[in-house]
Amino acid sequence: MKIELFYSPGCQECAAAQASLKAAAQQAVADLEWRELSVLDELDYAVELGVLTLPSIAVDGELVFSSLPTPKQLYEALRRRTAREA
Amino acid sequence: MFTIGKLAAVAEVTTDTLRYYEREGLIEPVGKSPAGYRLYDKDSARRIRFVKQAQHCGFTLAEIRELLVLRRRDAACCGDVRTRAIEKKLQLENKIRAMRAMSKALDRLIADCADETRPVEECTILAALERTTIPERAH
Repeated sequence: MKIELFYSPGCQECAAAQASLKAAAQQAVADLEWRELSVLDELDYAVELGVLTLPSIAVDGELVFSSLPTPKQLYEALRRRTAREA
Repeated sequence: MFTIGKLAAVAEVTTDTLRYYEREGLIEPVGKSPAGYRLYDKDSARRIRFVKQAQHCGFTLAEIRELLVLRRRDAACCGDVRTRAIEKKLQLENKIRAMRAMSKALDRLIADCADETRPVEECTILAALERTTIPERAH
């Protein structure tokens, strides 16, 4: 499963939350591909996914969170997704 | 101090615009003249310039109000404003993409109407618009 976190460079809130969100994702998903993307470097891709607010999180190319979730919310969303795909 | 007319002239906007800005909380008079006219200071002129520039970049008045609040907030930093600017750019790019798709849809309709002398009831553009989807054209 590919998780992409779009952030605005210099966003303190994103930097502080990234490690705990990544840990929650690792707990929820076995085959995790975690990417942190500066929206300025990946603007076209972000627009393609429909990212309008920052930070945002996409899972397998689908925008899932348009603001920062808590690690628990991310964990639960990923578990639900994994169960659906199983 | 400026009256509303003077401020409008200095800021190159109409008095109606200034009254609208005032209703939207973007400017406020600092007092009243002895005759009861509202008076504005130089900061109002600066704020109006700010509003006009921000509108030029696509910000709505509600977003501009937030930027003006950020400008005054001690805890805010340049990064907060930058994030809003990036989000505005994302919105604009999104709209541009949507408009390009609309333009392409029109290209298809225009191309499909090869015979413009046909009566209007046989118009392929009107017929296509009545359908639920416009067919993709093979390239």
